[in-house]
Amino acid sequence: MLVLSRKINQSIMIGDNIRIVVVAVDRDQVKLGIEAPRDVSVHRSEIYEEIQRTNQTAAASPGSPAGKPEAVPAKLASSLRPRPARKKSSDEH
Amino acid sequence: MSLWMEQTMETAQPMTKEFPRFGECAFAPSDVIEFPWGIPGFPNLRRWLALSVESQGSFVWLQSIEDVQIALPTADPYFMFDDYDPKLPAYAAEALGIESPGDFTLLCVLVVTENAHEMTMNLFAPVVVNLRTRKARQIVLENSGFSVRQPVPRKTESEAAR
Repeated sequence: MLVLSRKINQSIMIGDNIRIVVVAVDRDQVKLGIEAPRDVSVHRSEIYEEIQRTNQTAAASPGSPAGKPEAVPAKLASSLRPRPARKKSSDEH
Repeated sequence: MSLWMEQTMETAQPMTKEFPRFGECAFAPSDVIEFPWGIPGFPNLRRWLALSVESQGSFVWLQSIEDVQIALPTADPYFMFDDYDPKLPAYAAEALGIESPGDFTLLCVLVVTENAHEMTMNLFAPVVVNLRTRKARQIVLENSGFSVRQPVPRKTESEAAR
């Protein structure tokens, strides 16, 4: 791992368009500012790791939600469609 | 081989693939959903199919084409939480080229326990699928308050599954 020392308001560049600034340091807490292109996702690592774990657990789900271990014939999902417009009233019930 | 033949091969040839969970599935290239960023936990798996099983109602299985062992159960969150209406972060719309609400759909990953007695849905990180381009990405709704493992109420679950 590359380790760099920085002072408050100093920054580092990652590639050509990601900049990380040290905004504040208070005892064992560091505030970082991140400038990145709009299509780059930025998250705290523990959140990302939790999503990774959840996906891996989901992939180990039983053969089917009904709990059948054998191969269940499947077809291409035909139900992928845009979300319906929001309804204010509860006329779906 | 003539040019006509090559074109036919590329655009119309259906493919089949054997999956341990679902047996043999036929699909066209246009059925493939591409995850250019992979999926957290499976960063190298880019090409997936959305499969449904007749007896499972609204469940949609995301089946990896590249690793046939990997399939993630998901569902449209609307079926289980009809007031779920997250705001897409700018990076998601930007990354997937989403211009209007009609462009995309959401799928949320389900975790089903061994005995299928309990089920949770990841409302915090929905999979956004651009229906025009068939590109998809699992996005993180930072600071949204949604849960990664929201319990799915039993009643809704059985309604959705049957």
